[in-house]
Amino acid sequence: MRLLVARCSVDYTGRLAAHLPMAIRLIMVKADGCVAIHADGGAYKPLNWMNAPNHLEESPGRWVVTNPKGESLVITLEDVIEDRSIELGPDPGLEKDGVERTLQHLLADRAAVIEPGLEILEREYATDLGPVDLLCRDIGGQVVAVEIKRRGEIDGVEQLTRYLERLNRDTTLAPVRGILAAMTVTPQARTLAAARGIGWVEVDYDLLRGLEGRAPRLFEV
Amino acid sequence: MRIRAERDDLVDVLSRAGRAVGARAALPILQGLLIEVSGKTMRVTGTDLDVTVRTELEVEVLSGGTTVAPARLATEAVRKLPPGAVTFQAEAGEIEISGGGPVFRFREFSAADYPKLSEPVLKAAVAVDGAAFADAIGQVSVAASTDDARPVLTGVFFEAEGGKLRMVSTDSYRLAVRDVPAVEASLSGLVPVRALKELTRTVSAGKLRVAVGDREAAFASDRGVLTARLIEGSFPNYRSLIPASYPNRLRIARQALLEAIDRASLVAEDHIPIRITLQKGGIELSVTRQDVGGETEHVEAEYSGEEMTIAFNSKYLNDGVSAIDEDTIVLDVLDPLKPGVLRGGEGDDFLYLLMPVRL
Repeated sequence: MRLLVARCSVDYTGRLAAHLPMAIRLIMVKADGCVAIHADGGAYKPLNWMNAPNHLEESPGRWVVTNPKGESLVITLEDVIEDRSIELGPDPGLEKDGVERTLQHLLADRAAVIEPGLEILEREYATDLGPVDLLCRDIGGQVVAVEIKRRGEIDGVEQLTRYLERLNRDTTLAPVRGILAAMTVTPQARTLAAARGIGWVEVDYDLLRGLEGRAPRLFEV
Repeated sequence: MRIRAERDDLVDVLSRAGRAVGARAALPILQGLLIEVSGKTMRVTGTDLDVTVRTELEVEVLSGGTTVAPARLATEAVRKLPPGAVTFQAEAGEIEISGGGPVFRFREFSAADYPKLSEPVLKAAVAVDGAAFADAIGQVSVAASTDDARPVLTGVFFEAEGGKLRMVSTDSYRLAVRDVPAVEASLSGLVPVRALKELTRTVSAGKLRVAVGDREAAFASDRGVLTARLIEGSFPNYRSLIPASYPNRLRIARQALLEAIDRASLVAEDHIPIRITLQKGGIELSVTRQDVGGETEHVEAEYSGEEMTIAFNSKYLNDGVSAIDEDTIVLDVLDPLKPGVLRGGEGDDFLYLLMPVRL
């Protein structure tokens, strides 16, 4: 992780044009190549950013970040106050709420509860936007990404949409479809999911826990 | 670096090494394939640091050198060229792939950034028949867990057993044990099942050498070498789970049993158990799903022992029966609450221990 605190201005061109006037800002260059420009406030998202894959060209007083979509981020550096690189090491990932995590364990063991014939390929399948909870294969052989939530809301559909966009770039997986699995799915999330061709399913947490209790193991784990 | 090779040969070595390059790459450089050219050989390496695949191809070398090419793009680019000779070169930060007219150019990764991988250690390797080994992996891998929260159960345990190579896997609900004839087997380690499943798609061939070291397992053939980082931790004491003797034995035709399980599974879904009543002359197989209905049938078989009803998860039962490549299946049971053992009617090189479901 490279952290640069600098007085800079930023110009983005791509889907639209945006200009950040000259001010002191934090520029983060992450190990995967993502570049993010932060102000000294707010925890939601950067002022401007460019996801990987991209290309960063540094020249004195000027950084140019470009990506294959033709977008560019030009950072004009007037004064570099701090520039340091820190090795963060492997990321253990986000610790999820207990119920959501348990739900993921239970569904990983019984993917067919989500959809008959569904078989799990991998849990926490990594994409460059984060891990997809379950990567499965359906009865017809198509790859299915499953996002598991305690409560399925619009955010969950948005998150799954982003994952699907990334997964479908992988020719070894595409075409990939998505299913949002949750204990409850809100009407808004159902509508948005349907509009985007994403499936949704409500799963019974208590029943799943009960089923686990009924399935004896050969040994304790 | 500049080489020339037949398109299909090049696709083969790139795509097989590329199997180790996943979307899970923690570092951008791991999305690349390391390509080293010297003498008459092009050596291709792909890794995600857990699994590494090395392939080789004899090529026309125009100039030697090393580069790291974007794995998926380079492979797909070569694949999409017209049939015939392909030129692959790296120069001044750019990779150029051309043949029959089209020319692809990609940005090169820095070879200096590619991780330094230790060479596979094959000194103590045992020789096995590649096809038999692939079959054995298929048989034991069904019982391995996919739950990363329990890493020890996501591996296949290798050990030497009576001059044979033994492979064992379990997800705690079932356990599969397979012995493979091997020359001078004396190895032990827990190999990720994901790596073993890649073996057949990457380097498996008629003859395979298998080595399990302290930290890595290596599988080598004339098609290349796959190495996998061993899973740390203690594998469950599986021997203590297998009962020494069984008073009740069923001998049944595999195909008839599979067809019956398939019919019952239509109703059973994943979590509804299949009930099997063991009795003289055969079994009564049934499944009942509340609010839906059920299915019942009789399958002729030989049964010796006490009449009883035992229930199994339909998928686990199907996996076990499917894994046995014989016409006749033997199911040995103690009682409805203790694990049953499935094995072939003739061979004793595979067994599948399955925990029943309480009714």
